Amino acid sequence: MNAIIQTENLGRKYRKKEALKHLTLSVPEGSIFAFLGPNGAGKTTTIKTFMNILGPTGGRASVLGVDSRKLGPAELAQIGYVSENQKYPAWMTVQQLLDYCRPFYPTWDTAFEAKLQDQFRLPMNVKIKTLSRGMQVKAALLSSLAYRPRLLVLDEPFSGLDPLVRDEFIHGILELSEQENWSVFISSHDIDEVERLADWVGVINEGELQLAEPTVSLQARFRQVEVVTAVEATLPSMLPKTWLNPQATGHTVRFVDSQYVEEKSGEILTNAFPSLTQTDVQPMSLREIFIALARTYQFAAR
Amino acid sequence: MMPFQFKFKPGIPVFEQVIYAVKKALVSSQLATGDKFPSVRQLSQELKINPNTAHKAIMALVEDGILTVRPGIGTVVAEVPPATRQQKRSFLTEDLEQLVVEARKLSLELPEVEDALRQQWNRFTKEK
Repeated sequence: MNAIIQTENLGRKYRKKEALKHLTLSVPEGSIFAFLGPNGAGKTTTIKTFMNILGPTGGRASVLGVDSRKLGPAELAQIGYVSENQKYPAWMTVQQLLDYCRPFYPTWDTAFEAKLQDQFRLPMNVKIKTLSRGMQVKAALLSSLAYRPRLLVLDEPFSGLDPLVRDEFIHGILELSEQENWSVFISSHDIDEVERLADWVGVINEGELQLAEPTVSLQARFRQVEVVTAVEATLPSMLPKTWLNPQATGHTVRFVDSQYVEEKSGEILTNAFPSLTQTDVQPMSLREIFIALARTYQFAAR
Repeated sequence: MMPFQFKFKPGIPVFEQVIYAVKKALVSSQLATGDKFPSVRQLSQELKINPNTAHKAIMALVEDGILTVRPGIGTVVAEVPPATRQQKRSFLTEDLEQLVVEARKLSLELPEVEDALRQQWNRFTKEK
């Protein structure tokens, strides 16, 4: 599989603080890749570095097969970028913004532009500074979708948007599915929104990549496990490292198994808890998996 | 609008959920032979799911003989033999399993559970 974004040992320091530490990440072409992590984990720094807004202080990144430091008009014309912290030309109207952007993009599709305008119900002749946050974000998305980019990079796109605008935003992104070649890289806190969309998930913490894998395989290996024991519950002295956040109280032990295998689970549990009377094993949502991981990171940092 | 009911449950692969929802809609006659089935794009946009997943689900349903591709029309619901009572019952398997697990946790006996089930059943019959 070709990588649309590839980083190798990517590093970025702000003065002495290492915001990215040897980040090696490969985003497969054709995927919707969700990039998750707690606040300050390095999500925006990663994006800014591979988008050549910041220079790396170590390693390298490439986008569309081109070194990030050499990204030029030819590549940028195939990348759509919408960021939470985007600066808008506030004095322009939406119409003026689109008229300004259009000539930069050889692939600009005016029929698609009109369709999105209609879908987003954007007022065209109102100055951007007087628009609501939702309308501003939709204007930014429209100006990034109209040229049918091969790669769409979204940095916290949903923050501060009401549920209706989120829906419109997602519909807008999915309009790209008409074309053959498209990939999306999306960093977000809104895990519920991305769970249905993303077929790949990456998690970053303190500048280090924790995992990157298909959503299906991630969800297949994580389970919330609850065990009830006849005698008072205690945690076994040798806990597998793959059990996250183990807790015991009364007759109950609860933990997250990060390497669950259905066929082996029964035996492992009976060995660990000889007096076990009941077990309950539940699949986990992406949000629950993320919270379990984030707790582990907090614990490790103490 | 989707011609079948879909309630997203986090934690279960989206692909499986779509297949399940379509099969259930067939059994309950919400989908019938000849009905037009949404395109990949419609399915993806309406359910807010990854287009790759929508594509995979439609392909799997075509392979199962539940959908057929009609040139010029698109994908339609194929002629599927009417669901047997056995097939209909299979949609309750998970719920029943859950019920049995809970009943056993409470150390209830089967007749007691049957009794409780009958009471609920009659409650709905009366309301209608």
